[in-house]
Amino acid sequence: MKNFDWITPATAKEAVEACTAGRTFMGGGTDLVTLMKAGLVEPAGLVSLSRVTGLDAIAEDGEGLMLGARVTLAALAENTAVARRAPAVADSARNTATPLVRNRATVGGNLCQRPRCWYFRHPDYKCSKKGGDTCYAIEGENKYHAIFENTTCNIVHPSNLGPAFMAHDAELVILGPKGERKLSIHEFWVRPEEDMKTEIALDAGELITRVDLKPMPARTGSAFEEVNEKQSFDWGLVAAAVRLTLDGDKAADVRIILGAVAPVPLRHAEAEKALTGRVPDEKAALAAAEKAVEGATPLRDNHYKIAMLKACVKNAILMAAARARKAGG
Amino acid sequence: MQQHDEPTERVSRRGFLRGAGASLAAGGVVGAIQSDKAGTATVEPALQNAADVVALSFVLNGKPVAVKVRTGFTLLETLRDHLDHTGAKLVCDYGACGACTVLLDGVAVNSCLVLAVECQGRKVETIEGLAVDGKLHPVQEAFIAEDARQCGFCTPGMIMSCKSLLDRKAAPTHQETAEALAGNICRCGTYFNIQRAVDRAAKAKAGGR
Repeated sequence: MKNFDWITPATAKEAVEACTAGRTFMGGGTDLVTLMKAGLVEPAGLVSLSRVTGLDAIAEDGEGLMLGARVTLAALAENTAVARRAPAVADSARNTATPLVRNRATVGGNLCQRPRCWYFRHPDYKCSKKGGDTCYAIEGENKYHAIFENTTCNIVHPSNLGPAFMAHDAELVILGPKGERKLSIHEFWVRPEEDMKTEIALDAGELITRVDLKPMPARTGSAFEEVNEKQSFDWGLVAAAVRLTLDGDKAADVRIILGAVAPVPLRHAEAEKALTGRVPDEKAALAAAEKAVEGATPLRDNHYKIAMLKACVKNAILMAAARARKAGG
Repeated sequence: MQQHDEPTERVSRRGFLRGAGASLAAGGVVGAIQSDKAGTATVEPALQNAADVVALSFVLNGKPVAVKVRTGFTLLETLRDHLDHTGAKLVCDYGACGACTVLLDGVAVNSCLVLAVECQGRKVETIEGLAVDGKLHPVQEAFIAEDARQCGFCTPGMIMSCKSLLDRKAAPTHQETAEALAGNICRCGTYFNIQRAVDRAAKAKAGGR
């Protein structure tokens, strides 16, 4: 790794002031350090969040849950309030990487991590995401790549928390040079067609300080499911986050979000519609899951993702429904 | 335990390698300084650009150390190449294998993903610090008794993850052990023996045998 200025501010405001051109924020560093080792980013300075006060708290009140951006995935996975109030978020934190990585990786970093596409990660491939004019995955090795929205760039977004936060309509609190703003998680993702160089809607020098989750209505459940090649340290082959509310015994206010299958996490309105108003049993779950995989455009080596995603969505629906039945109200 | 202040006649493999190359010889042991000698570290050529050098002090296995590092050093390379603590192993270098596992303020982490500069003022524990006065830690004893290794390359990291687990849970279930060790890979496949070693160490720590 190249050398850099090392800055350890005490407050979020100081951190933003210190993060001038060429510098970048560092939370747990589990992604950033690997990007720096590969020479994909060479920041002139790192603004460490390690000493910034107030970023590592999980707070709960009538308004819901507030997750500090530097809360580790380990803390998120173990927190009982998160498990109770946003089960899909707890599921997704538990499913991510390894215990060693979860001890370091943070909420903010999970949302800001860069894609794992091996052409993007390889220093010798100047792919379209790195200013070139080719997506090497189209003709190349594409087992782990996108099966939706994959005409220009075939990355899949690697964030596990992203789909779970979308199921819970998370709101991001962002501090930047121009002050604080709030942004819905649904507005956070940037498609390659909009801007090839980034995956997220943060401007230069902006820092996520907090993620807010509103309380769930009564009789609501959520779940996150992921399929990996092996149990630990694997990015999902497919993932699904689901939330639904029971109206009588029928599903209402359904959210179905697909992960690891497109350049951004995909909320799937058609699949949601297929489940809405039906008893969320095995048959209805399968019907919705079939809707979710319609129109997939797999590449040479990732047709397997279609059947896998279908099973994943179905299982997430059934788990969310089971939790909704158990939930009070 | 390796001693930096007592040159010995014994030629170790690592010492041989260090002596074999001029650059290695110049850049070998920079730190591992006892607190009373802090500030006397030699600076390797790559560190002589003052702007790039950070004087770092932290507590390594209970002893204060001072070392000069570049900001671009990981904790792992600082331990191995500059503090002569080679227990933590460099294998994948991106957090996938766990061979570099150390405890940072008591929490098990991949030292290949931790920057050295992050450790200022903090506590780092490595495999070298587990034995006290020549007496092995119960986890080390248990690994020997259960033959919980073959090639041994994953062992230092594996043992640190086991220690971290047993520090948090006195009697982990097999499921809990499997989950806690999910970040440590053993290519020899000694997982069953490791499981037995954790069981044995838990019993030993509880006072039984």
